[in-house]
Amino acid sequence: MCRESCLCPFILRRGVKAGLLLRNVKKELEVFLQQLLNGLSCGGVYALMAVGFGLIYNVLKFSNFSHGGVMLIGCYTAYFAFKVFHSSLFVTLLFGAIVGGLCAVIFEKLAIAPLRKRNAPKVYFFVNSINGGLLSEYLIVATVGVFFHTFPDFLGTTNINIGQISFSKLNLTMFTISLITLFGLMWYLYKTKSGRAIRAVACDINTASLMGVDVNRVISLTFFVSGLLGGLSGVFLGINYTIYPQLGKMIVKGWMASVIGGLGSLLGPVVGGILLGVLETFLTAYIGSSFTPILSFIILLMFLLIRPQGIAGIIVEEKV
Amino acid sequence: MSFYQGVIIIVVINVIAVIGNFLLTGMTGLLSFGQASFMALGAYISGLLAVKFNIPFPLAILLAIIASVFVGFIIALPVVKLRRDYFALTTFAFGEFLKAVLNLSVTITGGATGLAGIPYKVNIWIVLISLIIVILLVRNFRNSKFGKECLAIRDDELAARSCGIDSSRKKMTVFLFSVAITSFAGCLYGFYTCYIDPSMFGWTKSSELVIMVFFGGLNSLTGVIIGTTFLTLSLEILRFTGAWRMFIYVLIMIILIDFRPQGVFANWELEWTTFEKLLHMPLSIIKKEK
Amino acid sequence: MNKLKVITILMTVIFLSFGLFSYSWGAGEEEILVGNIQDMSAGTAIWGQNDTNGILLAAEEINARGGILGKKIRVITYDTKGDPTEAINAYNRLVDLDKVVAVLGPPTSNVGIPLAPIAERKKVPVIGDFMDERATTHSGGVWNFMFLTEPSCSEQAEIAASYALKELKLSKFAVIYNKANSYSVNMAIPFMAYVIKHGGEILITETYLFGDTEFGAQCTKIKNANPEAVFVPGYVQDNALIAKQLRGIGVDVPIIGNNSWYVPLIELAGPAANNTYFPSNMATDIPRFQDFIKRYEKRFGMEPLIHALMGYDNMNILAEAIKKAGKLDPIAIKDAIEQTDHAGVMGRIKFNPQTHRPDRMPLIMLKIENEEFVTLGEYLPPLD
Repeated sequence: MCRESCLCPFILRRGVKAGLLLRNVKKELEVFLQQLLNGLSCGGVYALMAVGFGLIYNVLKFSNFSHGGVMLIGCYTAYFAFKVFHSSLFVTLLFGAIVGGLCAVIFEKLAIAPLRKRNAPKVYFFVNSINGGLLSEYLIVATVGVFFHTFPDFLGTTNINIGQISFSKLNLTMFTISLITLFGLMWYLYKTKSGRAIRAVACDINTASLMGVDVNRVISLTFFVSGLLGGLSGVFLGINYTIYPQLGKMIVKGWMASVIGGLGSLLGPVVGGILLGVLETFLTAYIGSSFTPILSFIILLMFLLIRPQGIAGIIVEEKV
Repeated sequence: MSFYQGVIIIVVINVIAVIGNFLLTGMTGLLSFGQASFMALGAYISGLLAVKFNIPFPLAILLAIIASVFVGFIIALPVVKLRRDYFALTTFAFGEFLKAVLNLSVTITGGATGLAGIPYKVNIWIVLISLIIVILLVRNFRNSKFGKECLAIRDDELAARSCGIDSSRKKMTVFLFSVAITSFAGCLYGFYTCYIDPSMFGWTKSSELVIMVFFGGLNSLTGVIIGTTFLTLSLEILRFTGAWRMFIYVLIMIILIDFRPQGVFANWELEWTTFEKLLHMPLSIIKKEK
Repeated sequence: MNKLKVITILMTVIFLSFGLFSYSWGAGEEEILVGNIQDMSAGTAIWGQNDTNGILLAAEEINARGGILGKKIRVITYDTKGDPTEAINAYNRLVDLDKVVAVLGPPTSNVGIPLAPIAERKKVPVIGDFMDERATTHSGGVWNFMFLTEPSCSEQAEIAASYALKELKLSKFAVIYNKANSYSVNMAIPFMAYVIKHGGEILITETYLFGDTEFGAQCTKIKNANPEAVFVPGYVQDNALIAKQLRGIGVDVPIIGNNSWYVPLIELAGPAANNTYFPSNMATDIPRFQDFIKRYEKRFGMEPLIHALMGYDNMNILAEAIKKAGKLDPIAIKDAIEQTDHAGVMGRIKFNPQTHRPDRMPLIMLKIENEEFVTLGEYLPPLD
C-alpha cells in the first residue's frame, strides 16, 4: 500500500511479479525434478526386470513370461529367509537371486528342454512360459497362502532432502545395486568364457553347437543368470511394494520395456525400462493416471509399427 | 435352468470364443493375445445397445459383431504385414488399451463399476444352435479353396507368397472372421451373466483362450471343441482338490504341451466315417471286459 | 485313434454325465445345508478365507447348542477366484445339486451384482457383504433374495466424510482412489459429493488402477495441492503403499480411510499409517468384539479380520431366520430374513424392506496412532 509516489507501486508490482515468476519456475523445476526422480526409481526396477527377460529372448528367441514366476518365488523365499534368519539387506537379496536362478533352471528343465528336444516352434515355448508363470503363482497360493507380507524398512524411512526434492536412502541403494549388477552382467558376458558361450548361442544356436559349444548346458546357464536377475528384481519389488502372489504380473511392464528399448541387445531393455518408468510417471503427473495406460499402450503400439526393433535393438530378418 | 445347463452354457460360450482363436492361429499361424478384448467389445456394445437403447437382442448382437469387425480391421491393417511376433504384441497391447478405455469411460459404460442390468436372454438352446452354426461355418471355410491357401501361408509364408497368394489380404480376412466369432461369444456371455466389467476381459483370459487352442490341437476343429470342453469341465470337477486345483490344472497343461505339442487331437477330425468307428469302439471294449 | 484321445473323450463324456445323473445330492436327514461362495485363491482371498472361518465358527457354535430345528448345519464352500462366472456356477451348483437352503455370500460386489438376478430367478436367498448398492437394489426396486449386512459403500463414505468435516473440522481434501475398482469408486464419489454439499472443498482428485504400485506422481501432485487431509479408499495393499509414499514425500496431514484400513494395514505400512482416521466394522477394545476375538483365536489360532465378523453374523442371522421360518423352505426363510432384528457382533442389523440393507447402521471410527488402533467411538452422520 505504498502511496508515496506513482512510480513506487509500479516498480513494486513489476518486481513482485518477476519474483513470483521466478519462484513459480523454481517450483515447477523442483516438481519436474521430483517427478523425474520418481520415474527413474520406477524405471530402474523395470529395467532390471527387462534385462533378465531380454537375456532369454536373445538366446532362445521367445518372450519368457515365466520370468514373473521366477521373480515371485525369489521374493517369497527371500522373505522367509529374512523372517527365519533375520538376514541383512544384502544377504536377503543374494538369497532371493540364487533361488530365482534355481527356479529358472527348474522351469527350463520342466517346460523348455522337452520342447527343444522336439524342435517345437517358438510359439510353444511362449505358451509354456505363460503356464510356468501361472504355475508359480498357484504354487504360492496353495502353499503359502494369500496373505500379504512386506519387508520391513531395511534402511529406515528417512529420506534425503535436497530443497523440496526427496528420495529415500533405500531407493538410492537399490538403484546402485542394480547398476552394479548390470555392470557385473556385462563383464560376465564379455569377459568370461561362459559368457562368450552365451553370446555365441545367442548369435546362432546351430553354428555355436558346430563350434563345440555344449548348447544344452549353455541354455541352462542362461536361464540361471536370467533367474538371478529375476530373483533380484523380485526382492526389489517386494521391498518397494508388497509381497503378494500376483507379483509376477509385473512382468508385463518388463516386457513392454523390452519392446520399447529393443530386444536385440543388452542395453535395450535397460534404456527401455528407464524410459518406460519416466514416461509413466510424467504421464501420470501431467495428464492424470487414468490416461496413463491408454497412452502407454499407444506409445507401445507406435513403437511396434514405426520402429519394431526398439530404440537400441536390431531386427532379425527372416531368411529364406 | 439347472446347474448342469448353466455349466454347459459357459462351456459352449468358451468353445465358441476358442474357435475364433483356433481359426486365426490354426489357419494363419498368427497368435492373438487380445481375443478377450474382442469378447469385451461384443459384450459391451451389445449390452449397451440393449440396456440404453432397448434394441432387441438379435439386432444388438448383429450390430456389436459388425462394430467389432470394424475395430479389428483398423488394428490389423498396419500390423498384418509384419512378423507374427509383432501381431501377437499388438493384439495384446490393444487388449490392455481397450481395458483401460473401458475403465475410463465411466459415464458411458460404467467404467470399473461395470454394466449391470443386461436382460437375460441366453438359454441352452440358443447357445447350442449358435455353436452348431459356428462349427458349420468354420468347417466349410477351412475346406474351401480359400482355406487351403491359408494353410499354405501358415506353413511357409515366403513360399506361399512366391506362389502368388496374397498373404496379407488372406490373413486379414481370417482375422476378421475370427474377431466376428469371438465377439459373438462375448455377446452371448453378456446376455448370460447380465453383468460385465472390464476385469473379466484382461490378458489372462486371452492367454487362457490361446492355451486351450494349443491343448486341443492346432489342426483339429473337433479337437479344439472337445479339448476346451474337457478343460472347462475339469476346472469344475477339480474343485475337490481345494487349494491345489489351479496348480494341478496348469501342471497338466505344461506336461501336455511338453510331450504332445501338437495338441491332444493333432490332426484328427470328426467326420461322418469316424463316427461309425467311434460307436463301435466302446462296444468292443465292453465285449473285451466280458 | 490313440490312447490319449480316447481318454480325453471318455473323460469329457463322464464329466458331462456328472450333471445329468447327479440329482439327489441333497441333505441328509439330520442336516441343514448352507452354501458359502467366496474368493479363496485370488486377489481378495484373505477376505474370503476370513469370511469362511467366521461362518464355520458360528455354525460350530450353533451345532454345539443342538443345531436348529433339531438338525445340524453343514456349510458347503466353493471358491470363485473372484470371477463372476465361477460365482454364478457355484451358486447354481449349490442350489441345484447340493440343494442348500440359503447362500452366504462374498464381500465383493463384482460377484454380488451378477448373483442378484439369478437369486431372483432361483429364489434361494443370499446374505452377504457386497457393498455396492446395485447388488441389493435396482432401478425398479429391491432384489428380493439379496441381503447386505453392513452399511453400503455410499453410507460408509458419508460416515467418513461427516466425521472428517464435523469432528475433525477439516474442509480441504485431496482424494486418491482406484478407478478400476467399483468399491473404491463407489466410496470416492459419495465422499466428494457429501463434502461439497456440506461446505467443504475437494482440492484435487487423483486416480490409480489395479496393479499399480508406484504412486509417486500422484503423491507429488497431492503434496503440491496442500490439502488438509487425504481420502484414500482402496484395498488394503494399495492403501498401505499410498500411505508409505505419501509420508515418504512429506505429506503429513491426516489420512481419511475406508474399512480396508484395518489389519493388516499397520504391518504393511508401519509408521506411515499413523495419523489416519477410518470407519471400521470392528474394534478390539469394545467388549462385544473381545469375546468374539477370543473365541475365534482359540478356534483358528489367528486374529480375525473384519470379514470373519461378517461371516459370523451372517450365519447367525440365517440361523435365526431358519428357526423363525420353522421349515427348510428357502422362500419362507427369505421372508424370515427380511424380519431380522439381530444384535450381532457388528452391531444391530435390521433390514429396510425396500432396500434389504440396514438403515443408519453406525460404524466405529478408529484412529491409527503410534502404530496401534485407537477406538474413537461409534459414529453416524447427523440427519439433515
